[in-house]
Amino acid sequence: MNPLLTALARLLIFPGLLFAVPAAWFYLWVERKSVALMQQRVGPPFMQPFFDFVKLLGKSTPPRPGIAGLLMRFWPLIAVSAAAGAVGLLPVLPSSGGFEGDLILLLALLEVPSICIIAAGFSSRSIFGEIGSAREAALSISYNIVFLLAIVSIAAAQHTFRLEALAGMRPSFLTELAIIAILVCLPAKLHINPFSLPNAEQEIYAGPMTEYAGPELAMWELAHGLEWVAGTGLVATLVAPHVTAAWLAAALFVAFSFAAVILLSVLAAATARLAIDSSVRFYWQCALIFTVLAISSAILVRLRS
Amino acid sequence: MSYKIPMGPYHPGLEEPYKLEMICEGETVQDAELKIGFNFRGVEHLAETRNYIQVIALMERVCGICSFIHTLTLCQAMEQLAGVEPPPRARYIRVVMAELERLHSHVLWAGIAAKLMGFKTMFMTCFALREKVMDVLQAISGNRVNYSMNCLGGVNRDVEDAPAIAGMVDDLEREMMRTIIPIFTTSSTARSRCAGIGVLTHDKALSCAVVGPTARASDVNQDLRRDAPYAAYAELDFEVPVEKAGDVRARLFVRALEIIESCRILRHALSNMPPGEISLNIDKPAFQAGTAISRVEAPRGEVMYSVTWKENSRNPARVHVRTPTYANMPAVRWMVRGARLADTPLIQASIDPCYSCTDR
Repeated sequence: MNPLLTALARLLIFPGLLFAVPAAWFYLWVERKSVALMQQRVGPPFMQPFFDFVKLLGKSTPPRPGIAGLLMRFWPLIAVSAAAGAVGLLPVLPSSGGFEGDLILLLALLEVPSICIIAAGFSSRSIFGEIGSAREAALSISYNIVFLLAIVSIAAAQHTFRLEALAGMRPSFLTELAIIAILVCLPAKLHINPFSLPNAEQEIYAGPMTEYAGPELAMWELAHGLEWVAGTGLVATLVAPHVTAAWLAAALFVAFSFAAVILLSVLAAATARLAIDSSVRFYWQCALIFTVLAISSAILVRLRS
Repeated sequence: MSYKIPMGPYHPGLEEPYKLEMICEGETVQDAELKIGFNFRGVEHLAETRNYIQVIALMERVCGICSFIHTLTLCQAMEQLAGVEPPPRARYIRVVMAELERLHSHVLWAGIAAKLMGFKTMFMTCFALREKVMDVLQAISGNRVNYSMNCLGGVNRDVEDAPAIAGMVDDLEREMMRTIIPIFTTSSTARSRCAGIGVLTHDKALSCAVVGPTARASDVNQDLRRDAPYAAYAELDFEVPVEKAGDVRARLFVRALEIIESCRILRHALSNMPPGEISLNIDKPAFQAGTAISRVEAPRGEVMYSVTWKENSRNPARVHVRTPTYANMPAVRWMVRGARLADTPLIQASIDPCYSCTDR
């Protein structure tokens, strides 16, 4: 098959936009519903995230003249594009193409929504947005070191930066360690408890999103959902066993992603929000240990081979 | 660079409208200013236009959480002016209602504190439990919020089936010991948000003249139920929990221990309730001219009513209310200085503020 067509199919159909957008709404619903059930509430109906999106699209936003207004419309679109691109890069189906170094592109794309959130908070010129952005920046620096080192350690052990090779690797102590490290970072990446401080509503309203409304907020919600798909999808591709049947690979991808969503929802429901210094300390002191172990194991694996 | 952050008057972290203006340096609060008065309803003035029956119904609406305590304090002051004593059974029923209201208030506060920590599951657990406390209140009074229990010279409704109510209290205590108390005292994330924050030292607590659990968490051993007993408290056996640390965790501990003590008082009161009348059924009370003062230990601390009556008047000449939040709120400024911005909602909530009562 033509590599360009394959890339387009991955980006636009599966696991790209056509799959990722409904999956984003589905994962958002799963998260909200499972947390609600754990809290003995009824929770939202199945279509609620979609209804929220449509409702927000139909609302008008206050006029925002100048560069700041332009930027406020611009950031959510970049975040959605980057998150959708990241999902499209995930090697879900067997022999689905990819290129040497696509892992680096994936990591960059996964980071773009976070950068957009930081920029969006400052662009909004709200004191609550600025504090939320500062928190997001501090948190991002903390968890990203762990997150990147965990991925790089697996790549180093496999001698490749190609995602497909990483998805097909055999499970080992090293991959298990790295997957745990990634799972530890995901709550911060997805702004859920115990690391929901950039959008801690009791302290700073909606943080960077305070001034956003209407279609722009709809795009942020979509970007958030796509981040869920990309984050849990990354874990799913690393965890899922290598199979040759495309339908089975897709089913395993969805099943493992779903399990990751449930796991993160349980964590969010069972914890209180940590303050910024406790969160930073947690990632620098505790989670770094995971990664130092993973890097040491990766070096040992390379020395042995 | 320092900047000013307004918190309120309308804010997701606040139950009621008031404003906390914080001057911050990064995430650290340098100073804070508290502004109240957004909920002023002129209740004290309205009281001057109501007779001795209507004023009870009016003052019940000063606060939605400790509505019984407000009418109890008012009735005690009016009973002093009328020169009457409620019957023993009525005094025990007043204790039962007051302690159930303390349970209700503390569980509600625990829920709010959990919400402010971002611990929404705990919030839901607390509010589910609060419903059960309200069920008990409803079983006794027929109402869930404004109970209409107090009247001049006694209470309006009897506790008809004390053993059944005692059984409900046992269930409540079991549930609280199983859920709220262990989570608040052992959960590591909850501990990290409460320990060492919003410290009010013993000396500062004395100089700010704070009251209730806020004072007791700063090693100020005071409780009107023991120090100036009213209703039937002099005949009941209970401990007054006191903590030394003065931080949010200490306030949490004091309230958790008070929940246990309240259950103990309830059991004791229900099992030793004397038989007899529940009210003197006063038809036309003869109020002496003058001022009477009554003090009661509300869930948040001391409530004081000063009631003045003129000769041959149907209405009080003046009803003045001092609520515990009025005494506690100046301390918030000292608690938040040097605190993290993220902790300020929890710190201000740790005094269990009620601005509805304070603004009245």
